Amino acid sequence: MTAIVTVRDLRKRYGDIEAVRGISFDVLQGEVFGLLGPNGAGKTTTVEILEGLRKADGGDAIVDGIDVSKEPAKAKHRVGVQLQQSAFPENFTAKETVELFALCYGVTVDAMALLKEVDLADKAGQRQEKLSGGQRQRLSIATALVNKPRVLFLDEPTTGLDPQARRNLWELVRGIRQSGTTVFLTTHYMDEAEVLCDRVAVMDHGQIIAMDPPRALITALLGRGFSKPVIQQQANLEDVFLDLTGHELRED
Amino acid sequence: MRQALLLTLMYFRAYVRDRTAIFFSLVVPLMLLLIFGSLNLGAFGKVSLAVDDQANNAASQQFVSGLEKIDTLSITRESSDSAVAALKRTELDMLLVVPKDFAIAPTRAGQPVPTLTIYGNDARPQQVSVGESIVIEVITRLSFAVNQTAPVISLKQEDVQGVRLRYVDFLVPGILGVNVMQLAIFSVAFALVVDKRRGVLRRIMATPLKPSTFLVSQVVTRLIMATLQVLIMIAVSVFLFDVHPLGGILPLLLVALFGAVLFLTIGFALAGWAETENQVPAIAQLITLPQFFFSGVFFSKEAAPEIIRPITNLLPLTFLNDALREISVQGATLWDVRTQILGLLVWTAIGLALAVRFFRFDRF
Repeated sequence: MTAIVTVRDLRKRYGDIEAVRGISFDVLQGEVFGLLGPNGAGKTTTVEILEGLRKADGGDAIVDGIDVSKEPAKAKHRVGVQLQQSAFPENFTAKETVELFALCYGVTVDAMALLKEVDLADKAGQRQEKLSGGQRQRLSIATALVNKPRVLFLDEPTTGLDPQARRNLWELVRGIRQSGTTVFLTTHYMDEAEVLCDRVAVMDHGQIIAMDPPRALITALLGRGFSKPVIQQQANLEDVFLDLTGHELRED
Repeated sequence: MRQALLLTLMYFRAYVRDRTAIFFSLVVPLMLLLIFGSLNLGAFGKVSLAVDDQANNAASQQFVSGLEKIDTLSITRESSDSAVAALKRTELDMLLVVPKDFAIAPTRAGQPVPTLTIYGNDARPQQVSVGESIVIEVITRLSFAVNQTAPVISLKQEDVQGVRLRYVDFLVPGILGVNVMQLAIFSVAFALVVDKRRGVLRRIMATPLKPSTFLVSQVVTRLIMATLQVLIMIAVSVFLFDVHPLGGILPLLLVALFGAVLFLTIGFALAGWAETENQVPAIAQLITLPQFFFSGVFFSKEAAPEIIRPITNLLPLTFLNDALREISVQGATLWDVRTQILGLLVWTAIGLALAVRFFRFDRF
């Protein structure tokens, strides 16, 4: 598999704080790649450099063959972006929001088809500010898909969502991956990374401290003699919650 | 170009949907115009004069009815006691006491004459002096008539055409100016600070859209709004207040748009500087409030204390209002108001420098 995102010795500093300290990694074409880490680890800075929103202090960031620091505008055409806080201009309907972003890329889209893809067709005429958190995250993904990106960046896409909305978003991400788009996501939910990601990189204090498929990392940990008290239960509280409240989306 | 146009249309559609924005850009300006236009603040008003006719004879009645014929006076008959009380409450401008021995008869030098007493309200010196002059004038005429002499000097009055300036004629250009200022500063500063804080601008900057295209759409949206605002206000002024801009509506609109561009640059600078929308009103008021009062909106800019007038004469809104007023009231052309337009352009350059300094896309 070929790399679609290549990062080499990437550095970024804000004043005294070294947010990213010379990290290197590849994201392979077609995979779901997860960048994990606690708050302040440098995930968002890394993603924003790749999205062309921030300038790196040093190192290379290549997306789909384009050096992001040299040709940010060109790189922006190749990627889809969902920022951590997905906010859109007010007084636009969901459909108009999609059209607005298509216009920003200079492309025309079938906004209704895109909204259908993210299960928002029935909300097309509603003002985006009236949508629920989960609906707005899905709208955010629709706007990130207007330019048929090669890589889709999702920065903490499920933060603040209820269990139903989270699972719904996971399905959406799986569908996007299946259509051939590479997905680069950051999260600090390990269960999310475990079910969604083909490979993950764990970042802390501006450095990557581990990188592998989730299963490999778990196996390696067990291999180092790790064990935790085994509790024999076939379900957890979330399973109970979903069993009681159902998988149906609760939004309106 | 096409992209900028479509983007402008999209943003304009969203702007029109925003009820708060419409309220502040159309309803409030109209309210200002209607309220101040109907107040007729510029008129001097009448001098209220109470007459205590203690003589109550033929002569005094002739004298008082002579006063009653004068439009400027609003005359009531009252006893001195109640009139003095009214004076103290500032409900009355003057009290004229006609003494019991009042008579209109030929006099000879050295002979005592009846003495009228005037009580004036200290709080309304202008009205009192006008009232006094009128009373004295009436007495003089009576004296001439009775003593069979003619005045040694006569006065002929002629009106100068076009100077018959009503308050509303003065007001309308000022209202146009101040509302263009408010619209340009507040609509940009509020909307963009909110968009900045919520990450909307950052999201848009993650697309390949050029910042300049985005800025053009924001500016043009507001200019369309300002044009609508100016045209609606002029229409109301023409049809409701019978104000006819002598210099034509187009020059008026053009100058208003010059002003709008100037204040938009300040709005962008403010939007760039402010961290949250809570900071916007404070700074925006700091910028607009002095101009509200010192730039000749509701009353002449000459009302400003003399010591600060060199500064108030250079305020952005002063240039805008002066230009609008000269066009509207005196029929000036754009060329006639070139000094004011130059003033606006200098301020626009300053505003632009501030906007470029503070409104930075790479910082969002």
